[in-house]
Amino acid sequence: MGRYLVVRAYSMALTLLGLTVLVFLMLRLIPGTVVEQMIGADAIVSPEMVAQLRRFFGLDQPWWVQYSRWLGNLAQGDLGTSWRTGKPVVRLILERLPVTIELTLLAVGFALALGIAAGIVSAVRRDRAVDNVVRVGALLGLSVPVFWQGTMLILFFSIYLRWMPPVVWVDLFADPRRNLTIMVLPALCLGTASAANIARTTRACMLDVLRSEYIRTAAAKGLAGRAVVMKHALKNALIPIVTVAGLQMGILLGGTVVVEEVFTLPGVGRLVLWSIYQRDYPLTQSTILFVAVLFMAINLAVDMVYGYLDPRIRYGE
Amino acid sequence: MTTRLTRRDLLKASGAALAALSVGRPAHAQAPKPGGTFVSAQTTEATGLDPQLVPAFSRSRRSPMMYNQLVRFDAEMTPVPELAESWQISPDGLTWTFKLREGVRFHDGQELTSADVKFTFDRLFEKSPGKSDFIAVDRVEPTGRYGVKFLTKEPFAGLLAALGGFWGFILSEAGIKKHGDLNTAALGTGPFMLQDWKVEQQMVLKRHPHYFKKGLPHVDEVILRIIPDEANIVAALRTGQIHHAFLEDNKNFNLLKDEKTLTGYRSSRLGYDFLNINASRGPLRDVRVRQAISWAVDRSQVLRVAASGFGRLTAPATAPMKQWQLPEEQWMRYYRPDLDRAKKLMADAGQAGGFTVKLGVIPTFPTMVLGAPVVAAQLKRIGITAEIENVEYAVWIKRWLAKDFDLTMNTTPGYADPDTAFFRALHSTKGQNWNSWSVPELDSLMEEGRRTLDQKKRKDIYDRVQILILENVPHLWLFSADTIDFTQASVKGFKQHPMTLLYGFEGVSLDRA
Repeated sequence: MGRYLVVRAYSMALTLLGLTVLVFLMLRLIPGTVVEQMIGADAIVSPEMVAQLRRFFGLDQPWWVQYSRWLGNLAQGDLGTSWRTGKPVVRLILERLPVTIELTLLAVGFALALGIAAGIVSAVRRDRAVDNVVRVGALLGLSVPVFWQGTMLILFFSIYLRWMPPVVWVDLFADPRRNLTIMVLPALCLGTASAANIARTTRACMLDVLRSEYIRTAAAKGLAGRAVVMKHALKNALIPIVTVAGLQMGILLGGTVVVEEVFTLPGVGRLVLWSIYQRDYPLTQSTILFVAVLFMAINLAVDMVYGYLDPRIRYGE
Repeated sequence: MTTRLTRRDLLKASGAALAALSVGRPAHAQAPKPGGTFVSAQTTEATGLDPQLVPAFSRSRRSPMMYNQLVRFDAEMTPVPELAESWQISPDGLTWTFKLREGVRFHDGQELTSADVKFTFDRLFEKSPGKSDFIAVDRVEPTGRYGVKFLTKEPFAGLLAALGGFWGFILSEAGIKKHGDLNTAALGTGPFMLQDWKVEQQMVLKRHPHYFKKGLPHVDEVILRIIPDEANIVAALRTGQIHHAFLEDNKNFNLLKDEKTLTGYRSSRLGYDFLNINASRGPLRDVRVRQAISWAVDRSQVLRVAASGFGRLTAPATAPMKQWQLPEEQWMRYYRPDLDRAKKLMADAGQAGGFTVKLGVIPTFPTMVLGAPVVAAQLKRIGITAEIENVEYAVWIKRWLAKDFDLTMNTTPGYADPDTAFFRALHSTKGQNWNSWSVPELDSLMEEGRRTLDQKKRKDIYDRVQILILENVPHLWLFSADTIDFTQASVKGFKQHPMTLLYGFEGVSLDRA
C-alpha cells in the first residue's frame, strides 16, 4: 500500500508539472493581455505608459523567466496575487471553494440516491413499464445540456410558479436553510446527467449479478427478495458503480463552471472564467492547478475505496 | 431631433400601454422612507474599481456610488456644481478657478480639501489613460484650503465636460496612502461606502452617514448583484428578488412591460452604436466607397433589429447633447438609404464589382451581435461582402489599439462635450485617429473648437464639424438606443442619467407599505 502511494504521488507530480506548462502556455496563446484591458479602447496612451504597465506585470520578460518565477513561487507554496483584484489567489480560492465543494457533494448525493435507486428498480423489474421509463429518462438526462436545463428550470419556476432561488448569496453556515434553497436547483441540474449515468451502470451491473449462480442459490435457500437484492446483489455490483461515481465527481467538479455561471453561484468555476476574460494570468494558472490537484485527490480516494469494497483488490501486496 | 424627450414625454408618446407603467404614480408622494436594502442586478462585473486605472464603463458606472466629481451633468446635460460650489475663468481663458464646498467628508471622516483635488489630478496625469480627457491641462494648483486652479496650455473648452466625465472622480490622498491602488477598496466622498466585494458575485455598499447632500441617501444599504444571463435578471425582477435592473437587451422590455409589480423607464442615452471604418484598408481608403456604405445602410432597420426599435437615429452629437444638436433635417438627409447613389459611388471608385471585408463583433455586446448581420446584408446589396468575425473583448481591444480591423461594430457610453466626442477619435495627428485618416479642414476646425470658449461660436464650429463628418464618413452613427430600466413598484425616486452612471441610487427609497 505504502509503495503504491509513493508511485501514485510520483506520477501525480509529473502530471502536475506537465499541466503547469500547458496552462501557462495556453493562456499566453490567447491574444490580448491585462495591459490592453487596462488601457481600454478610448484613450491616448504613450508607448512609455504601455511599457511601464507591461513591466509592472512582468510581461516584458521572456516566457521562460515568467514561467520559472511562477513555478518557484509555487514551490514555496505561494499561489501568487491576482492582478485584477490585488488579492492573494489562495484567499480568493478559499473564499469560493466551499461553494464548489458543497455544490459537487450535493450533486453527487442526488445522483447516487436517484441513480442507484432507479438502477435497482429498473434491473429488478426488467422490461416492465418502470424499466422503460427509467431507461428513457436516463437517456434524456444524459442528452440534455446542463446550461439549457438550468435556464429552463429558472424560466419554468419564475414564470409559472413565480419562484426562483434567492439571488443574494448566503453562506451555508450563516443561514443553512436559505443557502440550501439557493443550492437545490443547481445541484439537481448538475447531478442529472450523473444520475442518468449511474442509473445505467447500476442497471447493467445488477442485471449481470442477478444472473449469477450465487444469487440463484440465495433465492433458492429461501431468502427474501429484498435481502437478495440489497445484500447479495448490490454489494457485488457496487465496484463499477463506485468507479463511475468517482469519475463523475471529477466531471461534476468541472461541470460546476457552467452551473455556477447559469445560477451565478460564487464558486471557483466562475472565478476561473472571469480571470480568463480579464487575462488575470496568476489567478487563472493557480486556480486551474488547484482544481487539478483536487481532481487527482478524488481519483486517488476512489481507488482506495475499491480495496475496501473488494478485498480481492489490494495494492502492492 | 431638436428637442430632448424626457421619460414622461416618451411614455406619453408611446401610447397607453407604456403610460400605464409609470405615470400612474402621484407626483406629490409622501416623504421618502429611510432605510432598507436596495438590490440592483447587472450582467457585467466591474473589472476593477480604481476610478483612474480602470477604463471599463462597468467601473465608471459604479464610481458615482463611492465618489463625487467637482461638477456633474444634470439630466439636461448641463454642468452643475457638485464638490465645487462655483467656478470662474480668467480673461485669457487659461486659468479656471474652482471653489470647493466646505465640510465635505470622505468615508473615513476626513474633510475634503484642495490638497486632495491636486493629489487626484497629479495621479491622473501620471498614471491614468484618463488623462486624454484633460489633454490641454498643464497643472492643478491649490489656492487655499478650499480653492483649486486648473492651468491650461491653451484655452480649453472641454474642461467642465472632462471634470463631469468618466475620469473626474475625486480621490482621497489618505485613501491611496492606505490602500495603494483602489481596485478593491474605495475611499471617496460619495453616497455609499464599500463594505464588501466578491468579484463576479456581489458588491455590498453601506450608506455614508456624513454625505454632504443632507438627507441622502435614503437606503441603508445597496447590493449590486452580478447575474450574467439577462434572462435570469428578468426572472429575478418578476419574482421580486431584485429592486432594479438596467437591461442591456432592449427586447426584454416587451417581456416586462405588462408586469403590474414593476415600473419601467425608457430614457434617451448619451451613448450610441456605430460602425467604424478603417480608412487605411484597401478600397475603404476611397471616400466614395465610405459614402456608398453610408448610403447603403438603412439605420432604422439596424435600430429595429439591434435594439427592438427602442431608440432613435442620431447625428454625431446625440440627443442628450442638447446644446450641440444639429437641426434634424441637416443630418437626416444623409441617412435616407439610396442604393442607386451607393452603387454609382462604388462604380466611380472603380469598385462596381464589390469586395470583401471583415466586420468585427464582440459577442458579449447584444446590440453588436444583432446589428452586424443587418449591416452585412445591406452592404451585400452594393456588392460588399462583410464577413462577420466574432472577437472576444480583450482580443478586440488589442486589435483596436493596433488598428487591425476593416469594419467593426462599436458602442460607446458617449461624450458630454463635442471636443471629447470628436477630437480624440478623428484628429489625424493629435488624437487616436481611430480610422487612420486625414481631413485637414476637420483637424483645424476641431483644434479651433477646443480653444473657443464662446458658446455660440463654438456651436457654429461643431455644426460644421458634424457636417464634415457626415460627408467624409469615418464611421456610421447607427443609432442611439434608449436606456431601459425596471424597478419594483415599491422603489421611489429612481432616475436614470443620460450617461447611465449610477447617480440615481442616492435618491432611491423603498416603500415597504
